Amino acid sequence: MKKWLVLVAAATVLTACGDRKPAVVVPASVDTGGSRHGDFGPPQGEPVMAVLTSPPHVPPATGRSAPAKVIVELEVQEVEREIAEGVKYTFWTFGGTVPGSFIRVRQGDTVEFHLKNHPSSKMPHNIDLHGVTGPGGGAASTFTAPGHRTQFTFKALNQGLYVYHCATAPVGMHVANGMYGLILVEPPQGLSHVDHEYYVMQGDFYTVGKYREKGHQAFDMQKAIDENPTYVLFNGAETALTGPNALKAQTGESVRMFVGNGGPNLVSSFHLIGEIFDKVQYEGGTHFQENVQTTLIPAGGAVTVEFHTEVPGNYVLVDHSIFRAFNKGALAILEVSGGPRLEIYSGKQVDESYLSEKVGDLAPVSVAVAASAAGTLTKEQQIQAGAVLFKGTCSTCHQEDGKGLPNVFPPLAGSDFLLADSKRAIGIVLNGLTGPVTVNGNTFTSVMPPMSQLNDDAIANILTYALNSWGNSGGQVTTKQVQAVRATTKRPEGAAH
Amino acid sequence: MREATRCGWLLALAVCAPCLWAVQPAPERAKIPGGTFATILPPADKVKLATVRAFAIDRRTVSNADFARFVLDHPEWRRDRVARVFADPGYLQHWSSPTGAGKSIDAQPVTQVSWFAAKAYCEARGARLPSWYEWEFVAAASESVPDARADPQWRQSILDWYARPATAGLPAAGSTRPNFYGVRDVHGIVWEWVLDLGSMMVSADNREQGDPDLKRFCGTGALTMEEKENYAMLMRVATLSSMQASYTSSTMGFRCAVGPDPAP
Amino acid sequence: MRRLAGWLSLLLVCTALNTTLGAEPPAQYPPTSIYQLEAALTDQDGGLHGLDVYRGHPVLITMFYASCPASCPLIIDTLRATEKDLTAAQRADLRVLMISIDPERDTPAALKSLAGTRRIDTTRWTLARTDAASVRTIAALLNLQYRKLPNGEYNHSTVIALLTPQGEIETRSSKLGTADAALLARMRN
Repeated sequence: MKKWLVLVAAATVLTACGDRKPAVVVPASVDTGGSRHGDFGPPQGEPVMAVLTSPPHVPPATGRSAPAKVIVELEVQEVEREIAEGVKYTFWTFGGTVPGSFIRVRQGDTVEFHLKNHPSSKMPHNIDLHGVTGPGGGAASTFTAPGHRTQFTFKALNQGLYVYHCATAPVGMHVANGMYGLILVEPPQGLSHVDHEYYVMQGDFYTVGKYREKGHQAFDMQKAIDENPTYVLFNGAETALTGPNALKAQTGESVRMFVGNGGPNLVSSFHLIGEIFDKVQYEGGTHFQENVQTTLIPAGGAVTVEFHTEVPGNYVLVDHSIFRAFNKGALAILEVSGGPRLEIYSGKQVDESYLSEKVGDLAPVSVAVAASAAGTLTKEQQIQAGAVLFKGTCSTCHQEDGKGLPNVFPPLAGSDFLLADSKRAIGIVLNGLTGPVTVNGNTFTSVMPPMSQLNDDAIANILTYALNSWGNSGGQVTTKQVQAVRATTKRPEGAAH
Repeated sequence: MREATRCGWLLALAVCAPCLWAVQPAPERAKIPGGTFATILPPADKVKLATVRAFAIDRRTVSNADFARFVLDHPEWRRDRVARVFADPGYLQHWSSPTGAGKSIDAQPVTQVSWFAAKAYCEARGARLPSWYEWEFVAAASESVPDARADPQWRQSILDWYARPATAGLPAAGSTRPNFYGVRDVHGIVWEWVLDLGSMMVSADNREQGDPDLKRFCGTGALTMEEKENYAMLMRVATLSSMQASYTSSTMGFRCAVGPDPAP
Repeated sequence: MRRLAGWLSLLLVCTALNTTLGAEPPAQYPPTSIYQLEAALTDQDGGLHGLDVYRGHPVLITMFYASCPASCPLIIDTLRATEKDLTAAQRADLRVLMISIDPERDTPAALKSLAGTRRIDTTRWTLARTDAASVRTIAALLNLQYRKLPNGEYNHSTVIALLTPQGEIETRSSKLGTADAALLARMRN
């Protein structure tokens, strides 16, 4: 009995070892109960100050197993900074950044939310958190004049990844100026461990001036109403996540990205060039899809994506409505460093000139055609033109060395059949040949299709070439001879001419 | 003997000068004709027009220097003596002393004043704050036309102010171009207090339109804001509705008006 | 010499005048007390009072208008319900001040009539009217919003504020219909 107990204990300890929590898989046919099952009772223990992070960083997992009272202090600041190189814009921000600070709580937590509006602000602001159950998502309770602060408390009944944004009239303008961010309400069991968690948020921006027009740019209301953005950006600036600001990972690591779309108008077709999302919690909800290339993020929505890195290099985050990526700035970089994995991705292996095999250099053919028209065609010219044409057409079966394929295609080199009767040869090229034929003592039973695509000159040149190559004794076939055979023999059905 | 008399009068004048401040030149006023117009805050559900009777309004915002003269004569409005119930801790904090702003900002529109303080200033001058409708009527004008509100360029020029960073300094009061009525500083300088601040019954969640919650506002509920494309005006209403009467703000100033008492 | 004395005394008088004109108001009330507002109230019996008519007592203060069809009757009920939840001693000390936002129609006679219809105990409750400017200022102090409609009715928010005996706003409630538990908790302290 004791031995069993020890074994069981050991097994339990071993399975509990390591910080990898088993992923709780919620089958698609089962639901988590939503808000009705999201109230885990009153908060326990001492109130906790929420750790807020600036993008692209994410606060650490709450690590809680019981509901807590969480205090969030968020300040609105109106700041002027670069939206693109040499282009300044006045952003309205939560926490001084676009997107605003990332808030992380656990389902069932009671959140005491303090919103402060910096005295230098021109406008009143408020906040609507999509994770709040209650009128306006908190907007009515947080309408804050500059130099003042407001507070309200809510319980996070639903797990998920939620957008928050300012909802002061005119709402579109406040959102367009950068007033959005994400709040993650962890499921009760927490999220599985990954090596990196990143925070990215797409937004569309509308300026009076054109794309990259330098100087200070004002918000353009008409462009916003027309849904015609000047910039579409990740994290509020063209260079927010490029160059030295690129996201980083190593090969062989797991990466999770919390990706939001603040809008105000555009839906995002989110894609990571060179990677596939192993897991996509579409719309920031509970269930997930696997093996996704591009996922839709609604305006005012979010998504959680997970993938594993294998190959080093620069991976580009884009909105795959691709003109936004290359002409409006919707581009960010994930730098993955580490050793190569050539068996997964080799990089470029071959780079050489490519000429379609059968075409070759058609110059001698042109020469022959010209000479024939001028009436100066020589045998030598015929042979050279014939060589090119033979290579492009006949060599497929009879081979370039004229030896054919034993038991399949008859040889032309040293062929008694060919050399015996050139008129018969013309006929075969024109009309094809089916049935047994004996060449050099060997019998071939195959089908040669009529070469109906060749004209008289071509046939004459090809046959002249064949008669004079590979040690064949010689001879010449003229266009007139081919014309004569063509006129007196019947073309099979479907022949070109 | 005459010398002494003259000196004496001069001395008395110098000492009594503060008492005489009321006759010092204040901002000039522009006469505004009455009229009916489509307002962004309709008076009632089916009533879209507001009527304004003829009145006169200051041509420029009240400056720090103007307000300093008022504080000198009404020391109960000094920032170190004002009743906290009438002004929050931000009141006149940007002044170099309780009695004066400082030469460098004297000409700028006064800010960091509460509604109570602005009202007291106007009353001391035998005037009052303009009502929202009076203000909206004057503010609808561009330089050349009395009602430019449908002009997208005019709207955009107002929105451009919001794009200016908050830290850029204020220009002198009265330094902007006059509008159709000869009134300056209406847009692009500071927000301005209105007399009927308590009537701007806009829901704190500005997305709520036509709030049916009768228990909250006895009657027809929160006001519905019209003309949703006129963002410049919407923002002004939003700002005013976020302020309580004792609040002060670095971007809220005021001017005075004279005329028949507007509806409460 | 006599003239000099004359000028000096004039100087003294001017200075004194300046000082008294700019004198600080007598520090009767704490800085956050709304009683610092000087307003002339007339009650339902025609008696004249200041806003601090009930100083020394905790006061429930609100604004209403007598011809209000919807919420104002409820305000009286709410105030009564709030009172009921107090001990007899607390109730005896409490005062209720209701100020009209419709001074034109709410004359003392109209207020008296309302007091009679609703059987208001005017030994501890006062229905009062004041001038339009004071209505505006008192509403601003209570953070109460109101607006006259074209048909003469008023749109207004509900605010019942609890004042300390010195006139400071202890707490405000927007609850209508039943006694506000939070308000009651403060009153019981």
